[in-house]
Amino acid sequence: MKLTKKISLVVASLVAVTAFSTAQADQLDSVIKKGVLNCGVVLDFPPMGYFDKENKAAGFDVDYCNDLGAALGVKVEVMNLTWGDRIPSLVSGKTDVVIGSTSDTLERAKSVGFSYPYFVFKFQVISKKDSGISSFDDLKNVKVGAALGTTYETEYLAYAEKKGWGKSNYTSFKSENDAYLGLYQGKVDAVISTNTNIATKLQTNEFKDFVAGPFVPNYDDVVGIITKRSEVAWMNYINLFLVHQIRDGKMNERYNHHFGSDAPADLIQALRDNK
Amino acid sequence: MEYQFHWNIVFQKMPQLLHGAFVTLHLSVFAMLIGIVIAVLLAIAKMSSSRIYSIPATIWVEIARNTPALFQIYMAYFGLGAFGIHLSPYVAVLSALIFVNAGYLTETFRGGFQSIPKTQYSASKSLGMNGIQIYRYIILPQMFRRIYHPMTNQFVWSILMSSLGILVGMNELSGETQRLQSLSFRTLEFFIVAAIMYFIITKFVLLCASLASKRLFKGDI
Repeated sequence: MKLTKKISLVVASLVAVTAFSTAQADQLDSVIKKGVLNCGVVLDFPPMGYFDKENKAAGFDVDYCNDLGAALGVKVEVMNLTWGDRIPSLVSGKTDVVIGSTSDTLERAKSVGFSYPYFVFKFQVISKKDSGISSFDDLKNVKVGAALGTTYETEYLAYAEKKGWGKSNYTSFKSENDAYLGLYQGKVDAVISTNTNIATKLQTNEFKDFVAGPFVPNYDDVVGIITKRSEVAWMNYINLFLVHQIRDGKMNERYNHHFGSDAPADLIQALRDNK
Repeated sequence: MEYQFHWNIVFQKMPQLLHGAFVTLHLSVFAMLIGIVIAVLLAIAKMSSSRIYSIPATIWVEIARNTPALFQIYMAYFGLGAFGIHLSPYVAVLSALIFVNAGYLTETFRGGFQSIPKTQYSASKSLGMNGIQIYRYIILPQMFRRIYHPMTNQFVWSILMSSLGILVGMNELSGETQRLQSLSFRTLEFFIVAAIMYFIITKFVLLCASLASKRLFKGDI
């Protein structure tokens, strides 16, 4: 009788513990359990994310997805997102994490969880060689374009408003590719994008008459990995993953692969300092 | 649901959203009014026995009805751009919407014209009316009364399809919504408010259309 009582007590507590732990399962558990990491990347933003010659997802961000998957020991499904899809994809559970060069503004951090910084961009102007744009203030008199919903669009518009330029010279494009198409066709005289994307574009034949111009003044675009804001434990794991990417030299390896040189020491230091 | 709504940011940005809504409103109303005028002419041309009129009208209608509006907007902006013709996003979207509205309405109007007995044309002629007078006083008022409901469908379509303006970076309601949500990442809040605004715009336009048609066609609709 005593024994039966003991056994039933053990069974009951086991059931309770299991039930409790199921309720507590977070995103880290669920990714490991399902064995698949759904990783969102913007594949319109070389060299961070793009389609390679075999039409496969490639780029720095895609490599980070694969590294994260390898660390977790799960398969990686890379999902192609537009800039605007990043948050809906997290909220709806279609992605577990978005490695999509997302600028870590305090406004956005009210809505999603940000990791430590994993990359720093500069915002730059690309224009025709003969356009005569040598300083950022030269944009006052030309038509400027950028991709809708990006931080450089926001930065440009804030700068233009501060200087009293107005919005009439500005065109936004649905995607990064459309912005470059607009520049190529002459719809706009200058496009604002990231230094990395511009460097990639300048290597192509279509943009041989174009040149990288001035940087957006006083602005470093620091980007992080994003998840649902509530998934704190999951974010802890991702932060440690980012620390390891630097410590194990993976970050430099990926940088070298996509940018053709070692990562600048100040970039590595900034990431080590979480700035 | 674990999602927490933050509505205050939406109220802060209300002026920008309302500006976007206003752009949507006048864009779709212009596209509709100009589309109606062209569609009347196209419908008459399409019924014409002369091929010089009927063939171009048929081509217009076939292309407008059988290709996606998304494609037409893209062609008006980037397609013409490839030939050095640069329309502003507003003009590109407006012309694409006029093109497609006119195409769809032509078929609606043709049905309306054909539902009016041929004898009315001869009767008006025998009263000494010329071609323009016959259409102005006899045919068009009856035709518009008959096709009023299918025409308002096109109105609604025109308003909702103007959201494709986002493709070419227009600052209409959808474009503005997209921009604002990307600043704050409060996606659901902004999209819900935008949906409500579209609903109100649609209802408002339909109300105006029904008031106007009561005056213009003197019928109970």
